[in-house]
Amino acid sequence: MGTLSAIIVDAASFSAWLFLVAVGLTLIFGVLRLLNIAHGAFYSVGAYAAIYAIGASVALGWGTALQLAAALGAASVIGALIGLLVERCVLLRLYGHPEPLVLIATYALFLVLDDLTKMISGGRSLYAAQPRDNLGQIAIGGLQYPTYDIALIGVSLMVAAAAWYTLNRTRLGRCVTAVVFDSEISAAMGIHVGRIKTGTFIVGSVLGCIAGALTAPKIAVSPGIGVEVIVIAFAVVVVGGLGSIPGALLGAAIVGLARAVTAHLMPEVEVFAVYFAMVAVLAVRPHGLLAPVAARRI
Amino acid sequence: MKGHRMDWTIAALLAVAIVATVGAAGVPSWIRYLGQLSTSTALASVGVMILLRAGLLSFGQSLFYFVGGYAVALIARYGGVTDALALVMVAAIAAGLAAAIIGQLLAGYRGIFFSMLTLALSMVMFSVATKVRLFGGSDGLNIGLMSYLGYRPRGPDAQWASFVFCIWVWTALAIMTHAFLRSRFGALIPAVADNEIRIEYLGYSVRKVVWVAYGIAGMLAGAGGALAGLSARHVDPQFAYWTTAGDFIFVVLLSGQASVLSPALGAFFLEILRSYASALFPDQWQTAFGAMMLAIVLFLPAGLDRLIVLIWSAVRKIRALRPHTLERGRSS
Repeated sequence: MGTLSAIIVDAASFSAWLFLVAVGLTLIFGVLRLLNIAHGAFYSVGAYAAIYAIGASVALGWGTALQLAAALGAASVIGALIGLLVERCVLLRLYGHPEPLVLIATYALFLVLDDLTKMISGGRSLYAAQPRDNLGQIAIGGLQYPTYDIALIGVSLMVAAAAWYTLNRTRLGRCVTAVVFDSEISAAMGIHVGRIKTGTFIVGSVLGCIAGALTAPKIAVSPGIGVEVIVIAFAVVVVGGLGSIPGALLGAAIVGLARAVTAHLMPEVEVFAVYFAMVAVLAVRPHGLLAPVAARRI
Repeated sequence: MKGHRMDWTIAALLAVAIVATVGAAGVPSWIRYLGQLSTSTALASVGVMILLRAGLLSFGQSLFYFVGGYAVALIARYGGVTDALALVMVAAIAAGLAAAIIGQLLAGYRGIFFSMLTLALSMVMFSVATKVRLFGGSDGLNIGLMSYLGYRPRGPDAQWASFVFCIWVWTALAIMTHAFLRSRFGALIPAVADNEIRIEYLGYSVRKVVWVAYGIAGMLAGAGGALAGLSARHVDPQFAYWTTAGDFIFVVLLSGQASVLSPALGAFFLEILRSYASALFPDQWQTAFGAMMLAIVLFLPAGLDRLIVLIWSAVRKIRALRPHTLERGRSS
């Protein structure tokens, strides 16, 4: 019984993290039709921004809420700036180019951004665990968990709800959906397609940075944390179906459960759980669980 | 292929190999060493190039590079084999087999699915490699001195022999790959990128074309890894890391996809760049690397070799035109 509740809580907490990391990636893919490898770098940039923001606010003697607000604020501002820069200077010139070329461009961006975090931090491992420590522990099913990790589940669900609401219940969201469906017709209908694309990319990169910022208090932030994130985020997104927000939620749940079950029952294969889940789903549904069926191109 | 006409690519490959062999003793050993490393990178990059012609970007060729390098190290250590040629052949076959098995799984995927699955596989291999004791953990394995068909050079001769060996392995494999790409089956590879359904209507299996291309790319990467292991006389899990696969992509991006010769230029440039960059700005290497890739993608997406091909075809066109225009001038 103890193991079962531990598995459920771990799965929920890990799934919440996976969703946060993957939602920006799937949003960008959905609208811009490109897989942004630089998303991994956005994540590590956000984590570093949070580390410095938390460090500064601790030095100023601010409380936990302000520390977290500072971390999120710093990550959002930097994410928005980088997103704007990347979309305007690089991706804008590559729309309509062959897929491998765009993939290479985002890979190159990943290398540059990853190196910049290394230059700024000097390649050391940095910690900012104060907000997480201050929030204390909470007992679930006889086991103690950090309140911060449990709260992240709520944050993640809130992000999912906000994304769903914006896309399905607002005018802006309908414009975005129209651009996804057919950008030429949307332009003819008076939607500013370029602005929608830029905006989506900025929101996606802010989400990537926020994911890093929220993870920063839980881990030792060091160079190279972005590499693993991009592959895991891709696995999550692919399981659910590329470009679909509910798909990312479902993918995060499945991959999180797979990881939690193996971590408790077969720890030696835990590293591979994510990939096994991805390969198993892709073998049955090659385009993910919630992806719409598409005709072959001729 | 028209048998009676000279194939310029094969002629150029042989010329490079002969010049390198004859001139090897005359150049400083560090240039020889860079050349040697470029042959290994070039072979793996040719594999990336073949897949890219089919519209597939592999982020996982480092997996087969790793298989090739470790096949050499393990067989030399536990099997007591010291003949370089035998080791390279075994390594290439081992990597080719691995690619044939993995290719069965991957042949159904295209685009980013293919790219990310290859990336995931190489990352799994990397994390396994750092943990398994047989592979020497994150320190890797050392490789002893080699013999070449019975010739056992020692001291400075060993480096010279190793260089010449690498050059000729590269030449032989490049000629074979060139012949494959010129064959009817090889001509189907770019067709996969153009239109898959048309290939199926012509009676070929797209799946099989992709599978064969992946197998050959894996074999070439394995041979490249074997040469890299023999050159550095050391292999480590970094062989499997995704940045190694990124290097091959950089080479193909830089040099373009015009012929099997192109990646050799890119690979040599990469090795020179790497050795200078690590001396001049060791901490900004990735930035420089990424910025160059971005610049090429944005301003010269076809690769540098397109320029050479364009000039060459212009020269040939002028030469072909000249008698024709003279004739026309006479008749009018």
